[in-house]
Amino acid sequence: MPLSGPFVQELERIVSASGLVRTLEGRLVYECDMHTFYKGAPDVVALPQRTEQVVEIVRLCRREHVPIVPRGSGTGLIGGAMAPSGGVMIGTNRMDAILELDLPNRCATVQPGLINLSLTRAVASHGFFFAPDPSSQMVSSIGGNVATNAGGPHCLKYGITTNHILGLEIVTGAGELVRLGGKAADRPGYDLVGAAVGSEGTFGIVTAITVRLLHAAEAVKTILASFTAIEDASEAVSAIIAAGIVPAALEMLDELMIRAINEGTGAGYPKDAAAVLLIELDGPAAEVEAQGERAARICWERGALEVRVAADATERALLWKGRKEAAGAVGRLAPTYLLQDAVVPRSKLPTIMRELIAIGARHRVQIANVFHAGDGNLHPLILYDDRDPAELARAKAANEELLRACIEMGGTVTGEHGVGLDKAKNLPLQYAEADLNFMYRLRRAFDPDLIMNPGKLLPSHPACGEGFRPTRPRVPDGAWI
Amino acid sequence: MALAARSIGDALVTIAGRESVRDDASSLDSSIIDGARPRFLVRPASIDELSRVIALAHDAGLAAVPRGNGRALELGNPPAKVDLVVDLTGLDRVIEHNPDDLTITVQAGMSCGALAALLAPHRQSLAIDPPGLATRTLGGVTATNALGPLRARFGGLRDLLLGVRFVQPDGVVTWGGSKVVKSVSGYDVPKLMVGALGTLGVLAELTLRLHPLPDLERSWLVCLDQPQAAQELVSRLVDSSVQPGRVELLNDDAARFVLGESGSAGIAVSMGSVADAVNEQGERLAEMAKAQGARVLALPDDFWSRVSDAMSPPAGWTVLQITSLPGRLADTLEAVGGIVQAEAPGAEVRLGGCATLGTLRLLIGGATVAELDAVITRVRAWVGEIGGGVVVASGPAELRRTVDPWGPIGPGALALMRALRDEFDPRRVLNPGRYVRGI
Repeated sequence: MPLSGPFVQELERIVSASGLVRTLEGRLVYECDMHTFYKGAPDVVALPQRTEQVVEIVRLCRREHVPIVPRGSGTGLIGGAMAPSGGVMIGTNRMDAILELDLPNRCATVQPGLINLSLTRAVASHGFFFAPDPSSQMVSSIGGNVATNAGGPHCLKYGITTNHILGLEIVTGAGELVRLGGKAADRPGYDLVGAAVGSEGTFGIVTAITVRLLHAAEAVKTILASFTAIEDASEAVSAIIAAGIVPAALEMLDELMIRAINEGTGAGYPKDAAAVLLIELDGPAAEVEAQGERAARICWERGALEVRVAADATERALLWKGRKEAAGAVGRLAPTYLLQDAVVPRSKLPTIMRELIAIGARHRVQIANVFHAGDGNLHPLILYDDRDPAELARAKAANEELLRACIEMGGTVTGEHGVGLDKAKNLPLQYAEADLNFMYRLRRAFDPDLIMNPGKLLPSHPACGEGFRPTRPRVPDGAWI
Repeated sequence: MALAARSIGDALVTIAGRESVRDDASSLDSSIIDGARPRFLVRPASIDELSRVIALAHDAGLAAVPRGNGRALELGNPPAKVDLVVDLTGLDRVIEHNPDDLTITVQAGMSCGALAALLAPHRQSLAIDPPGLATRTLGGVTATNALGPLRARFGGLRDLLLGVRFVQPDGVVTWGGSKVVKSVSGYDVPKLMVGALGTLGVLAELTLRLHPLPDLERSWLVCLDQPQAAQELVSRLVDSSVQPGRVELLNDDAARFVLGESGSAGIAVSMGSVADAVNEQGERLAEMAKAQGARVLALPDDFWSRVSDAMSPPAGWTVLQITSLPGRLADTLEAVGGIVQAEAPGAEVRLGGCATLGTLRLLIGGATVAELDAVITRVRAWVGEIGGGVVVASGPAELRRTVDPWGPIGPGALALMRALRDEFDPRRVLNPGRYVRGI
């Protein structure tokens, strides 16, 4: 349904003509996030600069029953920041200021459009950093990190975005400007900050974020261990975790991935390895030293071909460069791929890797792997040629089977990318009707008219199209009459 | 009414069995909460029984109070109504322990002490240590968001609860979160349940993240009796790359309670790691103390369990949880000290708190309700200026009737909380009246 003239005029009054994208070619820029499979251009894009403008836009949209899609840098991987049913997209890019650096209290308050890495750069000279480090951190916005509860390689030790958010200012779907949490800990009442982080824009639009800053560790050690079999590498991961070592990051790459990366960035990963583990430890120097030795010993015991310790910061950066560019490097192997984000209990890694190889063989698709092994978060890239519909069908079938295998092992549908449009249909694998019903109702407390990012995060019910209906337990008949 | 009472009793017996339903005088007298005597005490033995008990309460218009070991019943407003006390200690089974994953799923009525004993042979632990931990249930510490010194390093239950099974106020058994250490599939329901005092659902089963016990843990007390000096040490510590487990502030009385005559006010720091790192960091702590001319005491192994005793209130004492900011620690200590001295001059005071977060735990004995009211009101005004607050964690019912035990909440946030409570428990089946603003 196209927007009415008066509606667009009202938007223009709020954000001015320069804050509005109306042309088709302009809007097409916003039709998808990094999951380019899902496309849907908004009817108009508003680029507010101030919180009050956001409030006005949301109130206007609520009054006129127009859907709103929030968007940061558009680097999400789930079909989240795109507009399947049109409406108004609110881009936060122009709200990118650091509002306050409060180093004595080790926190900062920022606007949602601020780029993740810009915050760390602003505080690095004082010895601090912002811990969540998604691979997109050079371009992704902190508002987007909050919306998707983004993870990253180092969340194994430091936790994902939600562990670092102290407070939020949010314009709810009801058009109310609400402050949740703040610098001081332990506020009475429900943990609404905790509920709102990861809500993928379905509660409202975040307009300011208070984040915790951490002090950089004294020492960092990066170890690269290569193996001739991916099962050996998987067992090394389980053994490291079971030994009580909590590395800052523990990443795995498989043979296909190693080849793609070596051809691309020249990261210098061993050519004949079937799997590479990237182990990063940080903390007090003596601890890093001792645990580094322990981790290396475990790798040797599991039959490592080679265990290499990055000699200096440059070598460390090179090892990481390959890892961070993995998704891009895979373009050398196939025109496109399906990216999974499921998690298994980390002790099940050897099992799931065997299963994954079997699934790839069964469906005749190549699967490249690069993932956060330390927390069992898989990122298999199922390669296919999009010019071949049969191959796409096989890739989808492999994807589905792999997801089911992960859930059966006690895992989860998505570890850090989020649900979006892409995985909403998969949530019933993991949650019963009652669980989904609870989530629907939770959402409605923030967004009573369901105008915020509709169609994302929660599946629509196959039967009635709205909330899932749980079955109530039976109570003895007529007891209280 | 008599008929109704009898038939509700019959229904409870049908659900949970005769042995698990009590309505005799002594059972009910021992289940009184802030003067309110329940009609029944019921102890379900399974989640299914629990769900049917709650469904019955919902349909029959009964108010149900979930209870673990009953160690935090003085948290919150006195209840508006108590018909049913639901004793959860019958739900104490381990569902699944995966030592290699550092996760465990247990029923919520299990005690923290039992969990610790179970995990010790694996050299693992649940990294929380609120006062009186051993006798509290896991559901209890989760529902009340109980915190202790270890939060300095590991955060609180919000950072450790991965998944939760709970019974909604209408009896529907619901699961939120996941059983793995990392998941963003759907809303983060576990966070919502931490500290919600069971008002959105009765906690039945918890999946928790565990941590490996360090090779070695050692602790030191840096004796500093001036708030400014304490703040300076904490700043040095945080700005260094030392990685302490706990950074706990203790006043004179608390330190003497723990250490006897040799104790004095200061900052107690624990380090847990490989042996070399612990000793090396201990030396660096000693250097920081020396730079301030402060005495350092090496602490005995049972120090932290004695701190836990010191921070547990003797009968009749009141506990205030004060939140300030880490950068305002000294100011806050001075202000709180001054206010207590002025408003409750005869009171005994023990003070602890997480120095790196700026949260304090203040135990006051021998003060009247009027004195406590004045202390709370003035401290609230002071920390309120910098965004902090005061919660009465424990104290006499009369005090909690006189003064709001939770303190102010911003209007926007409160409206959302009320909307959630109205959505999930419109009949106010669970813990009516006790939570923030009586919602």
